[in-house]
Amino acid sequence: MKNNAIILIGTQFFKKTFYTKGLFVLLSLFLAVLAYVTISGWNAYEANHHVVEHHQESSRKSWEENPDKHPHRMAHFGTFAFRAQHPLRIFDSGIESYTGNSIFLEAHRQNTANFSEASLSTGLVRFGDLNIAMLLQLILPLIIFFIGYASITAERENGTLKIIYIQGTPLNKVLLGKALGLFLLSTLFFLPSLLALWSISFIENHTMNSAIIVRSILISIGYIIFFMTLCCITVIVSAKSINSNRALLSLLAGWLLFFIIIPKTAQVIGNSLYPNLSKIEFKAVIEEEVTKQGDSHNPDDPYFNAVRDSVLKANNVTDVKDLPFNYSGFIMSKGEKQTALIYNDQHKKLIKTYEHQNSITDNLVLINPYLAIKNLSMSLSGTDFYTYTHFLSQTEKYRYQQSQYLNDLQMKFISNKAKSSEGKINVVDKSYWKSAPTFSYEYVSIADTIFNQITAIIALIIWLLLTIIFITKFSNRFKII
Amino acid sequence: MYRLLIKHFFRSKTVWLAFGILMFLGVLSISTGKQFLNQKQATIAKTAEQQQKHIETQTKLYEDDIGLLLYYLKFSFVNPVQPLAGISMGQSDVNSHIQNVSILNLEGQKYDTDLVNPMRLQVGNLDISFLIIFLFPLIIIALSFNILSEEKEKGTWKMITTQGISPFKFLLKKLSIRVVFIYIALSILLFLAKVVLGIPFAIEFLYIIIISYLYILFWFALCFFVILLRKSSNTNAITLLSSWLVLVVFLPVLVNNYVANKYPVEEAFAMTIKQRDAYHTKWDTDKKETMEKFYNHYPQFRKYELKETGFSWLWYYAMQQMGDDESKVERDAMFDKIRKREQLSASIAQFFPPLQVQLSMNTIAHTDLSNYVAFLNETTRFHENIRLQLYPKIFENQPASSVNWQEYEPVFFEHQNNFNMLKSVFPLLLLTLILIGLGVFRNLKYFR
Repeated sequence: MKNNAIILIGTQFFKKTFYTKGLFVLLSLFLAVLAYVTISGWNAYEANHHVVEHHQESSRKSWEENPDKHPHRMAHFGTFAFRAQHPLRIFDSGIESYTGNSIFLEAHRQNTANFSEASLSTGLVRFGDLNIAMLLQLILPLIIFFIGYASITAERENGTLKIIYIQGTPLNKVLLGKALGLFLLSTLFFLPSLLALWSISFIENHTMNSAIIVRSILISIGYIIFFMTLCCITVIVSAKSINSNRALLSLLAGWLLFFIIIPKTAQVIGNSLYPNLSKIEFKAVIEEEVTKQGDSHNPDDPYFNAVRDSVLKANNVTDVKDLPFNYSGFIMSKGEKQTALIYNDQHKKLIKTYEHQNSITDNLVLINPYLAIKNLSMSLSGTDFYTYTHFLSQTEKYRYQQSQYLNDLQMKFISNKAKSSEGKINVVDKSYWKSAPTFSYEYVSIADTIFNQITAIIALIIWLLLTIIFITKFSNRFKII
Repeated sequence: MYRLLIKHFFRSKTVWLAFGILMFLGVLSISTGKQFLNQKQATIAKTAEQQQKHIETQTKLYEDDIGLLLYYLKFSFVNPVQPLAGISMGQSDVNSHIQNVSILNLEGQKYDTDLVNPMRLQVGNLDISFLIIFLFPLIIIALSFNILSEEKEKGTWKMITTQGISPFKFLLKKLSIRVVFIYIALSILLFLAKVVLGIPFAIEFLYIIIISYLYILFWFALCFFVILLRKSSNTNAITLLSSWLVLVVFLPVLVNNYVANKYPVEEAFAMTIKQRDAYHTKWDTDKKETMEKFYNHYPQFRKYELKETGFSWLWYYAMQQMGDDESKVERDAMFDKIRKREQLSASIAQFFPPLQVQLSMNTIAHTDLSNYVAFLNETTRFHENIRLQLYPKIFENQPASSVNWQEYEPVFFEHQNNFNMLKSVFPLLLLTLILIGLGVFRNLKYFR
């Protein structure tokens, strides 16, 4: 009986607002944009998927079409790894515009991931990306504020609030009712968006290991909690403000602070506290480390000379030409192992620095529900920072595997007396190119994603609980007149 | 009259809050710009030293084989950052500022990115251009949305109209106080930026100032127009905020999305595969054929003939050259797409002030896409120059010491942008005038 009041106020607020012209215009605009964004995003994803697949195949094909060759020639022929997008990037493209899309993988050289979307775009790209998540994260909150800012102040200004109170409904029930009504209104906007998400996940469900259904469920829950919290906050601000104007300005200032200024400032501060090396410095560090530990390209290098002596001893010969395997292949495999270790070490440090830069944002998740939903949505859509570093480490692992495969071929099949890699004399049969390992990208597992975003999930739940508790416990003290 | 209005204006808490926010974020954005400049300039300053050290170690290692030496040796080409980039960073944090290339196949090296945290790029920069484009309009709206409606709602408007002063002039006075106040705030920030970022007072800085002032005038004109629709404060607020949302937040992402989807640059992938294949397949094809292509490109090197058997650097570098030469079709297609993207963005942007202002500021500050493309093209020229200087040394198999390596210092790129001030402010000015004109015209009968 008592809860009926909440439902009554909620449905009344819903009906009253639903039939206003403004809402109709807003809703139709929102839905039109949503339809455009979903369709264009989907087309772009399909096109990209096609392009990546096509180029991955064509680069593999030209690899396999190589004739009999010296394995080291193949090591520098190299392969390309193209980043396959997760289907949920249609929903939330996260940092994908800013991460490189293709990496050239060759022996003893780690190349950068190139051709990010942003590097080929005009300055307009910096206003942000248009996707469903952007509509839900930035635009819909503003719409909720616009619809709900006067929910309580209008009743107070009309004098109806005191009538409702006198009729026996405590203020907290009025607030909860209004929040409910506001939430119902917001479902008109986000339910179609989630519908778009679900159609993506059902139609693209064939994508292997993408855990797309679980991800979609979690994304849906996350957004529902986020919008519930926002509705409660809107109603609280409206109840605490003297008039509607003030309520709207406060909500707007809050939006500006929490949605724009805090995220930007946090990243700026993170970057200035933990600056990372530039590429040239990074390369110089690696070069220095390599010369310190031993450079396999230097014929007089003491470290590699010691390696040579021990190999000669173990095989009971005096000249590398008498070894039962190709010596330069052997040295290259040693050198590859050593430089890969040094590189991985430095690369880990770089990623650590990036993580430090991001740590300020990650910690602010607790006090900023927008950052929480942003990070969560990005992670679950497979477009976050972790997914990117995961891709980089997979390509490096594959690069190493491929280089060593070719070094092994050289050790086994190339004569020790071979002087050059040129021509048709010192070659390996081309069938070995076909049997070389292929690169296949594995998506981040759903367990890892949840583990990474556990603070964001907890933060969202805590925010919802706090706002509801605040309404039920404290709102009875708010002014009625 | 003015004195009282100014007094009244500063009595409002919103005004002080607005001023506080502007100054705080202004200082933050200037220091962001400063930090960005410092980081870039420090890296650039180090390149000369690093290049010298790099050349020293490498020439020692491979002193008796210049062909092998030049396989390893890298030369730097630098795109210097202008102080104005601290005001409008544009794309200069996405794209690399230093090219570090060897004389091998250039297309495999040219597009290497710098190391940047993608999270930072995604959140976007907090520079002054962002403040001006994004935040100032909001403050303008907050300060002026109710200057007429509030008087009406409080009942003071009738008192003003009965006092015999022109209500239109009164309204203009109220608005002009706000214009002056915002202009002062902006001037303080721009002056601070000039001092902190070390911007020389040249025509380019003046352009930025003029564009900013005009942009702000545009927003005042929009407010003026909406105020004179004579609706309630709430309606005004919602109308103005929605216009802001559409113009500043929504349209830019929509336009970018449209441009990106209309011209996807998949040629980048095709080009990068082609340049690899074109070089590598030459190991297995007829040497003479490769050499003939090379001689056709550089007839001056025809005098260097290939020996019949064995490996030679002449042949090796000819093969490398083929990577660049034979991927030209794909490369041209890629740059053609980029050019189309630029043109489409520019032509859409001229109708929407926030887009227009952002693109103009980037162009003035040399942080736009065309600067990067010009830098890439100039890298090709730089690379070709070094090739032409060193090819004969390799082909004649001269000792490494025959080259004066001291001469090989980093080269700096100088970019002339073709920024057209008139073309970029004309639409902005026109829109502003139309809005003011419409506002006045609709209300001629009320204000005399």
